[in-house]
Amino acid sequence: MIGAALVAPYVTLTGFVALALEGGVGVVAAWGVAIAACCVALPIATGMLAPVRALEIAAARLLLGVEVSDAEVIHGEVSWSTRWRSAAWFVAHVVVGGVIGTLTVVLPPAVVSACSAPFATGDVQLGRLDPTVPGGPGSAWIVPLALLSPVALVYLAVAASALLARVAPRLLGPSPAEQLATVQRHAVRLAERNRLARELHDSVGHALSIVTVQASAAGRVLDRDIPFARQALTDIETSARNGLRDLDHVLGLLRDDAAARAPTPTLADLKRLVASTRSTGIDVTAELTGRIDDVPHVVSSEAYRIVQESLTNAARHAGHVPVSLNLNVGTDHLELELTNPLDASRPRRSGGGRGLNGIQERVTSLRGQVTAGPEAGHWRIAVRLPLHPTS
Amino acid sequence: MNLGVLLVDDEPLIRSGLRAIIDAEPDLSVLGEADDGAAVTPMVRRLRPDVVLMDVRMPVVDGIEATRRLLANVDDPPRVLVLTTFENDDYVFEALRAGASGFLLKRAHPDEVVRAIRLLAAGDSLLFPAAIRELAARHAPAQAPAGGLDSAGLTDREAQILRLIAQGLSNAEIAAQLIVSAETVKTHVAHVLTKLDARDRTQAVIRAYHSGFITPRDPYTNGG
Repeated sequence: MIGAALVAPYVTLTGFVALALEGGVGVVAAWGVAIAACCVALPIATGMLAPVRALEIAAARLLLGVEVSDAEVIHGEVSWSTRWRSAAWFVAHVVVGGVIGTLTVVLPPAVVSACSAPFATGDVQLGRLDPTVPGGPGSAWIVPLALLSPVALVYLAVAASALLARVAPRLLGPSPAEQLATVQRHAVRLAERNRLARELHDSVGHALSIVTVQASAAGRVLDRDIPFARQALTDIETSARNGLRDLDHVLGLLRDDAAARAPTPTLADLKRLVASTRSTGIDVTAELTGRIDDVPHVVSSEAYRIVQESLTNAARHAGHVPVSLNLNVGTDHLELELTNPLDASRPRRSGGGRGLNGIQERVTSLRGQVTAGPEAGHWRIAVRLPLHPTS
Repeated sequence: MNLGVLLVDDEPLIRSGLRAIIDAEPDLSVLGEADDGAAVTPMVRRLRPDVVLMDVRMPVVDGIEATRRLLANVDDPPRVLVLTTFENDDYVFEALRAGASGFLLKRAHPDEVVRAIRLLAAGDSLLFPAAIRELAARHAPAQAPAGGLDSAGLTDREAQILRLIAQGLSNAEIAAQLIVSAETVKTHVAHVLTKLDARDRTQAVIRAYHSGFITPRDPYTNGG
């Protein structure tokens, strides 16, 4: 019935437009133009509006009881194919609603008139409809017909809603491309969460292992070696604190996950990353060659993460040392290299390069190569990523 | 007998803790420390330890590769005891397949640490048979190679003893169960190891699981 209500403004407008045009172009042309403009073009245009689509989806779920999954809107844009499909749905809804609504209004008086026809003397008009039925017993045939027509209307309404329910998912639901995009986004988010979980597992596991081993050792030598026991307590304290800090950090990231659905950073955001790293007191020299815009989105966002993790690792393990970053986008490959001098005075502490595991994983998933390790007094990490799956 | 140990872990605090635990034992001593797998082979040649405690994940050469290199390049190599943070680490099984004789959780109780070193050096029984069975179950090939261990040509008695080894029984325990002398068991075990081309019990058991000779869900091995 919403369709019937929706049709009213269009019909009314058609009437006005037709009447306004009648004088100028003749009756047939005036109504033709009015119907084309107000009953076809206008509903199509209405149906293309995003809010209308949302309302129609809600209405279809509520009134037709169909499951219509709402496509996630990418960057606030609704694709044209989706707009056309919603417009088609809107027109179908309005037309079906209009027809059934009109019949519901005109049928009851027509039925009453028809039933009175056998008993009348003159011609009987069917409600407010034009055709007339001659009065008298000769018109008795129309009575069963008239009594059946409301039943037929009910069936028509049921059939129409069934038909609408059938096409609703196709016209209002997400297109295959949108479904694919949604699934991909879910996959990326899941992979990200898995990675965070694994990082957490590694870093907290590492910290707790140190705590356990040092505490066991301190317990064993307490009576004989008090300086060792004292040092062990300090190390336990530091490790436990580091573990908690990592826990806090990753849980924060997981919590922010919902908020962080904002566009994932890509190489285009590299300048900002370098600037923010510099602001923490680390001297970063960055050299970029090639066209960053040509890098596919996935490669670009993963490369950004790799740089980010490498910078974090450098800061964590080497302290405030100068870091130099080289990024080169070639025709088939992206190469990035990050080097920092090894600080001999600092013991290298890391559980087999936890940050490195994350990088390794990203690189592997993109079928790239990574080498990392000390080289001529420097720590060097070099990553090569193919820009296309086949290259 | 004094047992020499080499510690290989990239985390200095794990090394210093383990060193304190091991050096506190009268019969054990740490001969040296390395922070990466690359240093293992030369250090073993120089220090001749009996057991190497080897971390699995290390930045340059990991514990798996280091174990492989050690066993390939050193005559009469020491036993390798793999150190791991997590029990369900896939690398651990890899390390066992590469020739490590056992593995140890870093969170293990100090008593367990020193027991594992002694057990491994003695080579007389399998370390953590239940854990090895679980690892084998997770890494069991989808289809066991055809023929299993047939080509090894084990006698019925040797096959029986291999199953008991997988349960973690020592020679003395096997002797008691089969009502034979410990010497006889020792001979059988030596034959099993030779026929399977295994350097120790762990390697023999890994091969037995991998070939499908023993399935990890085999009720006969549940004693582990």
